[in-house]
Amino acid sequence: MGRLFWKILLAFWLTLIATAAATGAVIWALREERAGAEASVALGMPAVLATDLAAATLRHGGVDALRDWMGEVRRPHGIAVFAVDAKGADLLGRPVPEGALADARELADSRGSHRAVRAVEAPGGERYLVFAQQQGPRLRGGDARPGGGRGGRPREGGGWLMLAMGAAASLAVSALLAWYLARPIRSLRWALRSAAEGRLETRVRPLMKGRRDEIADLGEEFDEMARRLQKLVEAQKRLLHDVSHELRSPLARLQAAVGLARQDPLRFQGALEPSLERIEREAARLDELVGEVLALARLEGGKAESGEEPVDLAELVASVAEDARFEAQAAHRDVAFQLASPVLVRGRPELLQRAVENVIRNAVKYTAEGSTVQVELAALGQRARLLVTDRGPGVAPGDAERIFEPFYRSGANASVDGFGLGLAIAHAAIATHRGSIRAENAAGGGLRVEIELPLAA
Amino acid sequence: MTAQVLLADDDAELGAMLKEYLERDGFGVTLVHDGDAAAKAALGGTFQIAVLDVMMPRMDGMEALRRIRQASRIPVIMLTARGDDIDRILGLELGADDYVPKPCTPRELSARLRAILRRVHPQPEAAGPVAVSGLTLWPQKRRVEWRGKPIELTSTQFNVLEVLMRNAGRVVSKKELSEQALGRPLARFDRSLDVHLSSIRQKLGEAADLIRTVRGTGYHLVKD
Repeated sequence: MGRLFWKILLAFWLTLIATAAATGAVIWALREERAGAEASVALGMPAVLATDLAAATLRHGGVDALRDWMGEVRRPHGIAVFAVDAKGADLLGRPVPEGALADARELADSRGSHRAVRAVEAPGGERYLVFAQQQGPRLRGGDARPGGGRGGRPREGGGWLMLAMGAAASLAVSALLAWYLARPIRSLRWALRSAAEGRLETRVRPLMKGRRDEIADLGEEFDEMARRLQKLVEAQKRLLHDVSHELRSPLARLQAAVGLARQDPLRFQGALEPSLERIEREAARLDELVGEVLALARLEGGKAESGEEPVDLAELVASVAEDARFEAQAAHRDVAFQLASPVLVRGRPELLQRAVENVIRNAVKYTAEGSTVQVELAALGQRARLLVTDRGPGVAPGDAERIFEPFYRSGANASVDGFGLGLAIAHAAIATHRGSIRAENAAGGGLRVEIELPLAA
Repeated sequence: MTAQVLLADDDAELGAMLKEYLERDGFGVTLVHDGDAAAKAALGGTFQIAVLDVMMPRMDGMEALRRIRQASRIPVIMLTARGDDIDRILGLELGADDYVPKPCTPRELSARLRAILRRVHPQPEAAGPVAVSGLTLWPQKRRVEWRGKPIELTSTQFNVLEVLMRNAGRVVSKKELSEQALGRPLARFDRSLDVHLSSIRQKLGEAADLIRTVRGTGYHLVKD
């Protein structure tokens, strides 16, 4: 059990004990008051009966008979019967509670005198006032001593037992409460530590079954956080795995080229030059791959950094399209773009250029020989929309989202040059600019990529 | 006689370079770019050895190996990604004779090819059958029998068993086994031998108990 458990336990227990003590004090005070009241005449049915009996005994049997009767009979219900003479002295010589005597006299004097108070003339001629007095309930059952103290004082042993039971019960209740509050916090702590140790699959909500409160909400928040972190870490791991895998291909070619170059250069005259060219080419490819991976990592790592400025998207697209057309025409393909009026967005021009360039180059790469890549730009409401449509094979229906994942290459075109990072970089760059990028198969065949960016305010 | 090598790798450029290298090294090389073509060609019977890249489109190297092993004992070398132990062990379990981690130098690949081919076509001096504890082995015919019943082994498994049988009654260290049966020095953390041994035991069936593992040292074929 943690410190919190003990704190809550102690706090609740002390509160309960204090409450119990206060309640006890109030009850005590009330009882003291009642004890005063109890000193007066008892008016209940048993008291009336006892008084009747005592009065009859006195009237017919005389003082001695009453004295014997009072001495012998154990009266139930804690009723003590007094017979008081005119001087205020009890027949048995017991001390008479003054309040009770005054009450009794008052009742006896009043008209229609109460049956619980009898003025009786003994055969000897003396007049006695007979009345009963309620003794304390705790004296019930056996305390025959008449007038044996005032009611309400707890007996020693029973009192301590009650105190102990009360303490134990309050302790149990406090412990339960403390456990109820402290346990989910312990679960949370365990979950946090577990996550910190790298087990991001940790979930805490199942440990708080059926709970509906702020602590449970906290647990839910934790689970959500862990879920996102897990996704992120997995994506990073996959990227790392893919990167290392992608590095292998150029490395393997590099090694093969080196192997060829070393293989008996004298016997294979002229074999050196093509090998060196290959080595150069593979080194350049490695450099390009590393550069793209770094670009992607930077984009995915940071949010929109400083350096945003107003950018005319129309001009930017036009210049990219122009460059792409130049290269496409060398491969018997074309890129069509009509320069529209300026479309202003805010952003980092080099990132936007990279995104647009990657999308258009990708389209040029896949579009069929002799076909034209259509590039259209328009401002729609608050957003700029760029459409790039090629006349290539398109994507398999389920892959429209996946083409933006790093190292995705459509299966049919494994031989196409490149690493599969271009669209992933475009996706990350557009996301940094609070925009969106989507792909779908175009109506006439081929792929249509749609980029939307918020217009500059 | 030039050994005919089937090389299956989806990286056309790399394949071409390896082909060129191996051809200069005295092999005849045929290049294919997917697992399907590799399996078909390997089962055609014109090749002495096949090299399969694990990562290939349409059918990967593992599946091609599985298909080849259903009908042929042609020696197979797998090209696995460096550091991917699962591929390595899975390949050996499926009956590959060896693996070469990629990227590799072409010289290493050539050396492995030679080592395996040398073992498959042993020198005629050791031609006579070896018989130990009910097992009989004919090195030239590449044939093994357990009490008259033939046992189908891949060429590497055959070599491992041959070394153990020739040294029956004594412990053969992993180092010796690697050098004599696999044709290469034992590499650290290399579990190839264990995988081969476990495959051999499986195929021996009731005779599996003949091969005892001596922990930390090697293996021991019991002689009655």
